[in-house]
Amino acid sequence: MTDSLTMQGVIYKRGMKTILHDVDLTLTPGKIVGLLGENGAGKTTLMRLITGSAKGKGTTMVNGAASEAERKQYVSFSEQLRGFSGNVKLSRILDFYETVYSDFEADRFTELADFLQIDTSLKLAALSKGMKEKLVIALTLARRTSLYLLDEPFSGIDSMSRKKIINSIIQWKPENATMVISDHYVSEIAPILDEIVVVKDQTIYTHRKADEVREKFNIGIEAYYESLYERGNDYD
Amino acid sequence: MNFDDKIPIYYQIENYIYHEIITGALKPGEKLPSVRQLAVDVTANVNTVQRALSEMITAEIIESKRGRGNFVTMETAKIDQLKVKLVTAQLERVYDQLHALNLSDDEIVTSLQQYIQQRGQAK
Repeated sequence: MTDSLTMQGVIYKRGMKTILHDVDLTLTPGKIVGLLGENGAGKTTLMRLITGSAKGKGTTMVNGAASEAERKQYVSFSEQLRGFSGNVKLSRILDFYETVYSDFEADRFTELADFLQIDTSLKLAALSKGMKEKLVIALTLARRTSLYLLDEPFSGIDSMSRKKIINSIIQWKPENATMVISDHYVSEIAPILDEIVVVKDQTIYTHRKADEVREKFNIGIEAYYESLYERGNDYD
Repeated sequence: MNFDDKIPIYYQIENYIYHEIITGALKPGEKLPSVRQLAVDVTANVNTVQRALSEMITAEIIESKRGRGNFVTMETAKIDQLKVKLVTAQLERVYDQLHALNLSDDEIVTSLQQYIQQRGQAK
C-alpha cells in the first residue's frame, strides 16, 4: 500500500533562519501519530509543509502525490476558520466546505455534530473555545480522505470536551487513513497513539512506535518525551 | 479505561478482556464487540486493540471466525488454565515483594492468613 506521507530532505527557511532541516519522515496508512515538540519547535510549520501552504525544499508526497493540488485533496487539515467573520452562521460554513471539498460528506458531519453536541444554528462568534474546536474537528473529520492533520486540537479545552474529541477520532477516522495530532502536552492522547514523532533541534528528532517505547524503556510516553530534553539521559 | 502509560497499551487491553472472561462478564462462546467498538469502549486505538486480540488468538483464548467476528473460546479448560496463570502472576508479585522484605515462607503464609482474617472482620 502507498505510504500516507513521505518527506525526504525537506528544508524550510524563513529569511536567513532555518526553521526545519533534513526532515525525513514516512508514515504508513491506518495510523494515529502524535507530533510532539515544544511551542515553536516547528510542528505547525511541518503540517503546513505537508499541505503545501508552506513551501520548502525537498520532496513531500501525500498518498504518493507530489503536486500541491493533489496533496490538498488527500489532506484534511484542521483550519482554525480565521477566514470567516464572527457573524457567519455555522450552516454557511458547512455549505462552504461542501462546495470546496468534493470528499466532504454532509452525513458524516451531521453524525459528528450530533456526537459532539454542536448547535449548527449558531453564529461562529457565539461559540465557546471548546465548542469552536469541536466544530473544527467535525469539519476536518467529515472529509473522507487519506491524511488528517490536527494541529493542537486540545489546547485550552476542558477535559470533558477532550474526551469527546478523542472518542470522535477513534470512531470516525477511516480505517486506512492516517492521522497526525500535534500537541505539546502528551499524557491525554498517549493511549490512542500508534507512533510518536518528536520535532526538536529543527528536525525530526525521533520517530518510534508508542508501545515500543513502553516495552523497551519501561517508561510512559510523557516521561520519554520529557527525557529528550534532559541532557545525558538519552534512551538510544 | 484508565491506562498506565508505562505499560504497553495492548497488554493492558489484553488483561482487561482476560479479566472480563475469568469473572464471567464475557461467557464461553460469547461474541466480542467489533474491534472499533472495543476501541471506543476502552478509549484506545483500533490497531492497539487488534494487537491485543491477536495475542489472545495466539493464546487460544479468543477464536477468530472469518467474517463473523471474535469469540471467547468454548473450551472452559483453557479459561481455567488462564485463571491459574493470572492468579499465579499476582501471587508471584506479592511473594517476591514480601521476600524482598526478608519474610520467610512461613512468615508470608502467616501474614497472609492474618491479613485475610482482618479483611473478613472489616467487612
